[in-house]
Amino acid sequence: MRSFDFIDTALLLGLFVLLAGCYGLFYTIGELRQRRHWINIGYVCFFFQAVITLLIVMCAPLGIGWQLLIIASCIACFKIPPMAFSYLKLIHG
Amino acid sequence: MYKSEELALKYFAAAMVLFGLMVVFGLLSATHYVQRGFLLNKLDFSIAKIVHIDTMILWLLLGFIGAIYWFLPGELNRETVGIKLAAIMFYVLCTAIVIVALVFIFVQYGGANQFSLWFINQGRKYVEAPRWAAIGIVLVLAVFCYNVIATTIKAKKVTGIMGVLIVDLVPLFALYFIAFPAITNMSVDLYWWWWLVHLWVEGTWEILIGCIMAFSLMQLLGTERRIVEMWLYIEVALVLGTGILGLGHHYFWIGTPSYWLAIGGLFSALEPLPLLGMVVHAVYDAGTLRMKTTNKPAFYWIMAEAFGNFLGGGVFGFMMTLPQINLFSHGTQWTVSHGHFAFWGAYACGILSVIYLALQKAHQVAEVNGVRWRWSFALLNIGMIGMVGALLISGIAQAFYERAIGGSTLQAFIEGQSNPWFMQGMTARLAFGMIFAAGYVILIYDLLAFGKQRISQATVLRPA
Repeated sequence: MRSFDFIDTALLLGLFVLLAGCYGLFYTIGELRQRRHWINIGYVCFFFQAVITLLIVMCAPLGIGWQLLIIASCIACFKIPPMAFSYLKLIHG
Repeated sequence: MYKSEELALKYFAAAMVLFGLMVVFGLLSATHYVQRGFLLNKLDFSIAKIVHIDTMILWLLLGFIGAIYWFLPGELNRETVGIKLAAIMFYVLCTAIVIVALVFIFVQYGGANQFSLWFINQGRKYVEAPRWAAIGIVLVLAVFCYNVIATTIKAKKVTGIMGVLIVDLVPLFALYFIAFPAITNMSVDLYWWWWLVHLWVEGTWEILIGCIMAFSLMQLLGTERRIVEMWLYIEVALVLGTGILGLGHHYFWIGTPSYWLAIGGLFSALEPLPLLGMVVHAVYDAGTLRMKTTNKPAFYWIMAEAFGNFLGGGVFGFMMTLPQINLFSHGTQWTVSHGHFAFWGAYACGILSVIYLALQKAHQVAEVNGVRWRWSFALLNIGMIGMVGALLISGIAQAFYERAIGGSTLQAFIEGQSNPWFMQGMTARLAFGMIFAAGYVILIYDLLAFGKQRISQATVLRPA
């Protein structure tokens, strides 16, 4: 592990969560306004999150357990906005 | 108005005074980094930092207590039981805070003996208040718990939010006792001390603010009770599910067994997931309402709470939570950056929202809007984002030069503190701190002018 590897990894991890937030934000706006292009912007954010996941798995000095955790988190992040939105719609009647 | 609501307004006023003190001592601490030798032997960095952090904890705590006293009578349709005792305890607490602050500023420190422990400083970070004052805090919390529980029993009505709140009060009260033991083994001491710090902040406080936000959403947006309660249960389950064992991310490098690295890393890596759900919820509420509300500042501060929590706790926390990063970032300005943003997003914004809500009702103002709150909202948030960004740069420089390159030696620490990246970050932090302070001044002006200005400009609510 090089001395600056932890900085790259940390920035990638921060970007990972930030993109998840952007995906959630645009997806929800799109669903609320019934506008497809907002949802698509959300998916673009998720696509970049998936790319970041790949970069973390391939380049970051993390063990296999941590890599699996990041992949699982990425999948969970993909599912949370649609699930949360459907549930909110359901309980709001 | 209920007496409980009147007491809540006093708590809010005291919280705002302490918020101001926190800002002043924050600026002093920031100046220490930029100008070495600043107030040397008069008000050293250690003292300024203690007052800065302790006032932060106290103003948030006063805000929480005030918010509960505010919402309690409305929720249970009756005056708070033991309100006179609660009012006495408010003045006891304020007097204790003033005395402790004066001792911290003018006496500062004492010898390694029982007298110092009891009357000057307990010496444990975040809970430095001397033992007599700590006992006072226990009494205040005990009376607060009694008020909430006795009122609920007397009202013979346990709503979902009240149920969650009462269950939460038990650890809130019990965990504070960890502030008392003076354990001489550093590892053992830190092991238990983190129970207090982490489980208060990422456990009981999270639930407390969840309950307060549930009350706020019903009052501000008219959200149905069943909806806020259902969402509260889910969020409490998720926050506790990830947050309790997330305690492990503090158990790095203090002599605890190595399995805490995996536990802490795993559970704190899961912590952003419920925060993502909160972002979806906040956008949903804002969207369905189309941003229409009778209290714009309260609404914007609630939104700031959801996004600030996600960014400060989620993004900034996830950046440094895995052991591979934490090895270098632990205890640097990087942590400070995360701490500032997370506290601001998770708690401070929520309390400011409740204060605007309370003032609207107290002054019976039909619609709250204006220019001043926008300025204070903008300056406070720009100041905070600038500060945490600057601290992040300093923190990364510190982690890199002092830890990764320098190997954490004392020499590396000193060199790291003098590094241009570190210094420029700290200078930028001071500048953004001043912007934040300007936002605070406008906020206070707006809150003080609340009644006068709006009664003359807006429609005043008349009782039916």
